[in-house]
Amino acid sequence: MRVNPNPMPDLLAALNQTELEAQQAQLQISTGKSVNEPSDNPTAAAQLVENNDQATFSNGYLQSLSAVQGQFSTADSTLSSVTSALQQALSLGVEAGGGTLSAGDLAAIANQLQGIQGQLVSLANTSYQGHYIFAGTITNRAPFVANNAVPSGVNYVGNTGVNEVSVGSGYKIAVNVPGSQLFSAPGNDVFLAINNLIQAVQTNTGIPAAVNAVSAASSYLSAQRVFYGSAMEQATSQTTYLNAAKLQLSQQQNTLGGVDMAAAANNLAQAQTDTQAALAAIGKSSQNSLFDYLT
Amino acid sequence: MSGLFGSLSIALSSLSVSQQEMATTSNNVANANTTGYSREVPDVAAGAPIVEGAITLGTGVVLQKIESLRDPILEIQLNQETQQQSKFSTELTQLQQIQTQFASSTSGIGADISNFFNSLQQLSPDPSNLELRQSVLTAAGNLATDFNTTANNLHTERSNLDLNVVQSVNQVNTLTAQIANVNQQISNLQNAHLNTGSLVDTQTNLIRQLSGLMDIQVIPTDQGISLATANGTTLVSGSQSYALTAQVGSDGMQHVMAGTQDITGALTGGSLAGLIQIRDQEIPSLGSSLDQLAAGLATNLNTANAAGFDLSGVAGGDIFAPPPVGGVGAAAALTVNITDPSLIAASSDGTSGSNGNLAVLSAVATQPLANGQTPIDSYSSIVFQVGNTTSSASADVDSSSLILQKLQDQRGSISGVSLDEEASNLIRYQTAYQAAARVVSTIDALLSDAVNLGLGAAVQ
Repeated sequence: MRVNPNPMPDLLAALNQTELEAQQAQLQISTGKSVNEPSDNPTAAAQLVENNDQATFSNGYLQSLSAVQGQFSTADSTLSSVTSALQQALSLGVEAGGGTLSAGDLAAIANQLQGIQGQLVSLANTSYQGHYIFAGTITNRAPFVANNAVPSGVNYVGNTGVNEVSVGSGYKIAVNVPGSQLFSAPGNDVFLAINNLIQAVQTNTGIPAAVNAVSAASSYLSAQRVFYGSAMEQATSQTTYLNAAKLQLSQQQNTLGGVDMAAAANNLAQAQTDTQAALAAIGKSSQNSLFDYLT
Repeated sequence: MSGLFGSLSIALSSLSVSQQEMATTSNNVANANTTGYSREVPDVAAGAPIVEGAITLGTGVVLQKIESLRDPILEIQLNQETQQQSKFSTELTQLQQIQTQFASSTSGIGADISNFFNSLQQLSPDPSNLELRQSVLTAAGNLATDFNTTANNLHTERSNLDLNVVQSVNQVNTLTAQIANVNQQISNLQNAHLNTGSLVDTQTNLIRQLSGLMDIQVIPTDQGISLATANGTTLVSGSQSYALTAQVGSDGMQHVMAGTQDITGALTGGSLAGLIQIRDQEIPSLGSSLDQLAAGLATNLNTANAAGFDLSGVAGGDIFAPPPVGGVGAAAALTVNITDPSLIAASSDGTSGSNGNLAVLSAVATQPLANGQTPIDSYSSIVFQVGNTTSSASADVDSSSLILQKLQDQRGSISGVSLDEEASNLIRYQTAYQAAARVVSTIDALLSDAVNLGLGAAVQ
C-alpha cells in the first residue's frame, strides 16, 4: 500500500502531545496540585469543595471552642471563689453559734458576713469580655442588684436563657448556667441563706439553722459548678477530636488534589525525553528524496 | 499510414506525450506542499491502430487526460469528521474559559458559602459582639459579590459567543459564494472537456473549510455539486449560493436563518454548532444552577433571620434583597440588604445575649434547597458539572482529532505527492523522451538516405 508521503502533520501532532504532557507535569510540580481545573478530575474537584467546607468548619469549631473555654474557665474560677467565700461564712457562722461570744464580737462577725455578702454579689456579677456570665442571655447588665426590700437582699434581673454553641457537626454544648439557677434556686438561695445568717447573728437567734442553710446552699452550688468542669472536659476532648479531623481532612485534600512529586517529576522527564525524540524524528524526516540522487 | 513518415509521426506523439507527462510531474512537485492538492497522473493510451490489408499498425501514444487522484468517499468522511472535531474543539475552548471561574476550592462561591456559615458560627459564642457581627455582613457581601461576578462573566461569555455566531454566519456566506463561483468555473471547463482537477481541489478545500463551520451535505449534480444544510436547506446549487442570515430571536440571541427557516437548533456539526451548544445549553444550564443556589440561599437566610430578633430586640428583616420571583437572574442580582451589623437576628428571645436564632441561620447550611441538595453540595455539583462537561469535551476532541488524523493519512496515501515517486516518473519520462528523440533523428537520417538515393553526393 502506498504510504502517506507527508508524515509531518502526524509528527507535529505527536510533538504537540508530548509538549502538552510536559506542560501539565510542570504545572503540577509548580502548583503542587494535581487538580488545577475542574476538568483535571471533576469528582475530586467537587470533593475538594466539600473538603474545604469541612476544613473551614473544623477551624471554626476550634475557634468557637477556644472562645467558650475562656468563658468556662472564668465561670469555674468565679464559682470556686464563691465556694471559698461561703466556707468562710460558714466558719464565721459556726463561731457565732458557739454561744460564748459577746454582743460586740457578734456585731463584728455580722459585719464580716456583710462583707462576704457584698463579695458574693460582686462574684455573681462577674463579666467576661464585657458580658455578664451569670445573667442568662441578658448579658449586657449586672444580673444581681441589691434590694433591701426582699428577703434575700438581692434581686435577679437576668433571665433563665441558656445559649448553645455548635462545636462539631450536630454537636452543641450549653455554654452558660443562668445566675438564678446558681445563686437563687428555691430552697438553696445563696443570698437568702447569707442574709438570714447575718440577721441570725445580729439577733443571736437561730444561728445553727441559718448555718445549716448556708451549708446546704454551698453544697448545691458546688454541685452546679460541676457543669463548668464537665463542659471544660468536653471542650478539651472535642478540641483533640477536631484537630485529628483537621489532619484527616488535610490528608484527604492531599489525596484528592495533591501531587505525587516523584511521579510528576518522572512524568516531566518522560515527556521531555519524548519531546526530544519527536524533535529528532522531525529533524531527520524527509531530508532526502530520490531527487537528490538524480544526475 | 505507414512508412518512415508514419514512424516519424509516432515518434512525435511520443515526444509530445512525454513532455506533457513531465509537465504533470513538474506540477506535482510544485504543489507537493499545497494544501488540498491531489496529485495528478497522466492517463495515456496507445493511439487508434490503422489496418492495412492483413496488418494492423499502431499510431503512437495519446494522452487521454490528466487525472487527479482522490477518493470521494474519503473526502466525505473527512468533511464529517472535520465537522465533529471543529464542534468539539470550539466547545472545549469555551468550556476551558468558563471552568476557570470554578477552579479554586479555597476561593469563589464555594469557599464564600463555607466562610459565611463559619462567620455565623464565630458569632455564636459572643452573639452581641459587633465586630463578629460585622464579619458576618462582610462574608455575606463576599458571597454576593462572587455570585455577581460569576454570573456576569457567564453573561459576557454568552454575548461573545453570540457575536461569534454572527461572524461565523458571515464566513459561511463567503465560503458558499466562493464554492458556487468555482462550481461555475468547473462547469465551464467540463463543457469544454478540459481538466478540472485543480479547481475541484480548490472546491474540496472550500468545502472542508465550510465543514469546519457547520454540518453540510454535498450532493453531486450535473452542474458540479450542490450543498445543503443537514436538514435539507439548499446552500449552493449550481452557480447560485443562498446566504444564511443571523437574526435576533425571542431569547435575545442571534438565530441562524436559512430564508425564513430557523436552523439554529438543527446545526449538529462545525464550530457554529459548538458555539450554539455552549451559548444555548451549557451557559444557561450553569447560570440557572447558580440562580437556584443564590435564590435558595437568600430566601432561606431571610426566612431564618425573620425568625429571630436583632440586637435591639426587633424582629429580623431581610439579610439579602429578596431574589426575583422564579429565581431567574438571582445570582447576578444578589445583594446584601443591610449595612448595620446589629440587624443580624442572632437572638431567639429578643435579649441581646441570646444566640438561639444563630442556630436557625446556621441550619440553612444543611437545609436542602429546591434541588434537594444543601447549598455547598449544590455548588460542588456545579463544579462537577463544569469539570465533567469540559473533560468529556476534551476526550471528544482527542478522539475526533485522532480519527481526523487517520483520515488525513489515508487521504495522503491516495492523493499526496511523493517526491520519490515523482523522481522515478521523471526518469521514466526523460528516458522515453530521449528514446523518442533518438527515433526521430534515426528516421531523419533514413529519410535523408532515401532522398539521396542514386545520387553520388548527399543532400546538404
